[in-house]
Amino acid sequence: MTIRNTLRDHGQRYRPRIACLKKAEKVLLEMQDPKTGVKSQPQRLVITTIPHAITGEDILSWLADRFQIDTQEARNFGSMLVALGYIYPLQDHKRLVIKPDASLYRFQTPYFWPTQQWPVEDTDYAIYLAKRNIRKKGILELHEQEQYNRLHKWMNHKWDFIVMQAKEQYRAAKERKKPDRVVFDCQERAYWVVHRPPPGTVSAMDYGLDRRIDPNADEEKTPDFYGRIMIFTQQSIMRPRVKSSVSIGALVKYCATYNGHDPFLSKCLPSNPWITDDITYWNLNMPNVEIPTKMRVERWTFSFGELLSDPRGRDDFRLFLKKEFSGENLAFWEGCEDLKWGTAATMREKAEQIYKSFLARGAPRWINIDGKTMEITVNGLKHPHRYVLDAAQTHIYMLMKKDSFGRYLKSPVFKDTLKKAVCPEEHKYSDAQLEQNAKNRRPSLSPIVLRQQEKEHRAKMAANAPVDITQLCRYTTPVPHLAVYSGISDFPSANASPSLPFLAHSPACPSPISVALDSTSASERRAEAGEGGAAGIPEARAPAAGSVSRSCMPLSLRRLLKRGCTPSTMFASLSPKYHSAAGTSSRIQPISPDQPSQAPPRRIGNFFQIKVDIPPECRIYPIESEDEDEEENRAASRGGVGAKEIICPWESLTPQNGTG
Amino acid sequence: MGKEECKTMLDALNKVTACYRHLVIALGSTSDSQNLREELKRTRKKAQELAVANRTKLTSLLKDKTISKEDRAEYERLWVLFSSSMDLLEVDMKRSLEIGQEFPLKVPTRHLIQTGMTGSTTTVAARAMSVQNMKYEADSNVDTADLRDLRSEITQVSQMMEEMEMKVQVAPWAVEAKQEAGAELKSNMSVGNSSVGVISICEEEPKEEDGAGGRDTGFATICAVAGFVIIVFVAVVLGYLVINMS
Repeated sequence: MTIRNTLRDHGQRYRPRIACLKKAEKVLLEMQDPKTGVKSQPQRLVITTIPHAITGEDILSWLADRFQIDTQEARNFGSMLVALGYIYPLQDHKRLVIKPDASLYRFQTPYFWPTQQWPVEDTDYAIYLAKRNIRKKGILELHEQEQYNRLHKWMNHKWDFIVMQAKEQYRAAKERKKPDRVVFDCQERAYWVVHRPPPGTVSAMDYGLDRRIDPNADEEKTPDFYGRIMIFTQQSIMRPRVKSSVSIGALVKYCATYNGHDPFLSKCLPSNPWITDDITYWNLNMPNVEIPTKMRVERWTFSFGELLSDPRGRDDFRLFLKKEFSGENLAFWEGCEDLKWGTAATMREKAEQIYKSFLARGAPRWINIDGKTMEITVNGLKHPHRYVLDAAQTHIYMLMKKDSFGRYLKSPVFKDTLKKAVCPEEHKYSDAQLEQNAKNRRPSLSPIVLRQQEKEHRAKMAANAPVDITQLCRYTTPVPHLAVYSGISDFPSANASPSLPFLAHSPACPSPISVALDSTSASERRAEAGEGGAAGIPEARAPAAGSVSRSCMPLSLRRLLKRGCTPSTMFASLSPKYHSAAGTSSRIQPISPDQPSQAPPRRIGNFFQIKVDIPPECRIYPIESEDEDEEENRAASRGGVGAKEIICPWESLTPQNGTG
Repeated sequence: MGKEECKTMLDALNKVTACYRHLVIALGSTSDSQNLREELKRTRKKAQELAVANRTKLTSLLKDKTISKEDRAEYERLWVLFSSSMDLLEVDMKRSLEIGQEFPLKVPTRHLIQTGMTGSTTTVAARAMSVQNMKYEADSNVDTADLRDLRSEITQVSQMMEEMEMKVQVAPWAVEAKQEAGAELKSNMSVGNSSVGVISICEEEPKEEDGAGGRDTGFATICAVAGFVIIVFVAVVLGYLVINMS
């Protein structure tokens, strides 16, 4: 195996080239040698005898002899020569394989050899089809007929030429002797079987899109050529270098770790679908499968990146983080990924959402990043672009990696998954079964359907995602039927009716819609909020008594909370909805006396993770900072205007900026 | 009339292109020989002469602004025919150069591909040159001088085609073909004695060729039988007369 110097080979990183063609040509020439080449025999047809026919077994024995390989390898090699078109079969001309028996083959003439240099023209194919039409007196095979019609439609302007050429070529062919004519017809037919394969077969010469330049051609030495070489070498000089002991060590470690997981190097359980046509392997390793395979779970332990890149792994990790109440880290990271890979149109919105949900002071899912990173991020958010949250994302990623990942691997969640993981048995198929499998191949779901399913799944996840609140927020309220807390069943149903008229009249208070504070759902929430209050009310109402209470937080409760809360306790606070609608404050009064009675029991009850209903327009303030009076004043001043929940620093100049 | 001349010249060019292609296909195979190379050379020269003649004629016709619309459409059609022929010719010439270089003839051990074709291509070349018999020159330097000439001819052809593109503004896709699909089946194809005889192309298509050949042989046998019957009848009549006379 020669090691080529790839320094000067500028095209190496592009498409692979069919370098085997030149090598195959050399082999072909060797085969022609009268003494040491393949033995040929005459082919006897009804009247004529055509020389230079070779049998399959002769070819294979010659190949095995010449290259010192075993019969299976020789068969593969021979089949490749036939598939490329250097040798064509005389019987069963559509199946381009080599049969190790006395079936006959013949060499193809150099004009019809496969080459990347001379593209196969549709004009030539059209002429061939026209000639075949003449010979067969109008009876073409089905796929040939289809191609004929298609070419007639698309090459209509050249059709006169094609007809004329076809007739002339037909007449010129007649000038030759009969055996030669037979051979010529066979050659041409074999050429087109390779390059325009009949349906159900693939062409071995299908090498993908054409490159702009021919890699085998000599490039002319223009100044541009030398300029490119110069840039390439300058960049190679500037490349950072790693000690070979380090890089080799890394390679060895990688190989040792992944050796068992590589389907080329070791067994693929239950069986490699590409070989046995059995798709159990793919079904077992679907992105959102319930029970992963043992190999997959083992892979998650290799590195944090592996865990995150596998959707099932990420789900597991998310579950673990939920139990640890630090799900916001992963949610933030996912939000950043979404921003990086999403469409440019939604970027600005997404960035704002992420800021509001995760980064701002008093955000519902505030993440813990250091001051410097926060500063950089907030400054960057003034002019948001795709990578504006990169620094914060990296920080959170490292945090998760160093901290949560280790604990995850020791956690009961992971151990449970590992225990449940399935290890499928290896399939042992006989040849007959393999053929049966090949017959039963079915196409998979269309990517459109898959994308739809993925979207639905994501929406469902977003709707069901819990909110783990690390910072007290007065204006959030639990939804009783969805709460995981214990024991609180008395929910203020009394709230329901008074709040209805309240709701009905205040356009500024959109109805409580059950949303999660996930970043992905933030935009949905926004959309839903836009639908307006009245529409949302009945649906919020429907689930159990008491939709979210929308009464304001009485002063007493606030005081209670302030006394009672410590930074470490997490509770969902209750009820402050909007405080505001100052114009309707008169209507609020009757409700408020109810509040203090409910507040304490609810407060205790809501220790666990709960689903929170937050009307998007509600103002959320961190508890420690605000003074009650200030709040009242502010509320009064804002009136019934839809106040923004968090004021983004870059939008401070325009506080009444729509929905924010 | 300019159109008729053009058409005949284009037909000739078409014929030469088709023959050239047949000859190039035989290159590198066991039917390759000195003669073949020479045939190629002469066919090429003929093709080039025809091409030049065609080109001058067509450019002069197309440059003429006073022609009617139908005439112009017709000339554009002829132009498309001409340029397609030239495309084929150019590609074939380039390929013959490549294959000629790969399979030199004047080397001590030459490995020509055993394709099964062993006959000569004289008749094809004769058809191209429109002569009855081809006469060959004794020695020509097939491997070196010939290929040099070929290279220069190729460059000539490429230049000619570039000039053509520049001078004449014809949109090839706008031309409508006069022939419809399946037009090649319409004209008389199998005249002559070359289709008599039952020969199968390959072993798996014996039946179709049998049928095709059989149809012709059927006709021949019917004629033969009819002739025979007539002769027998005449003989009987004569015999009867003789007997009656005597």
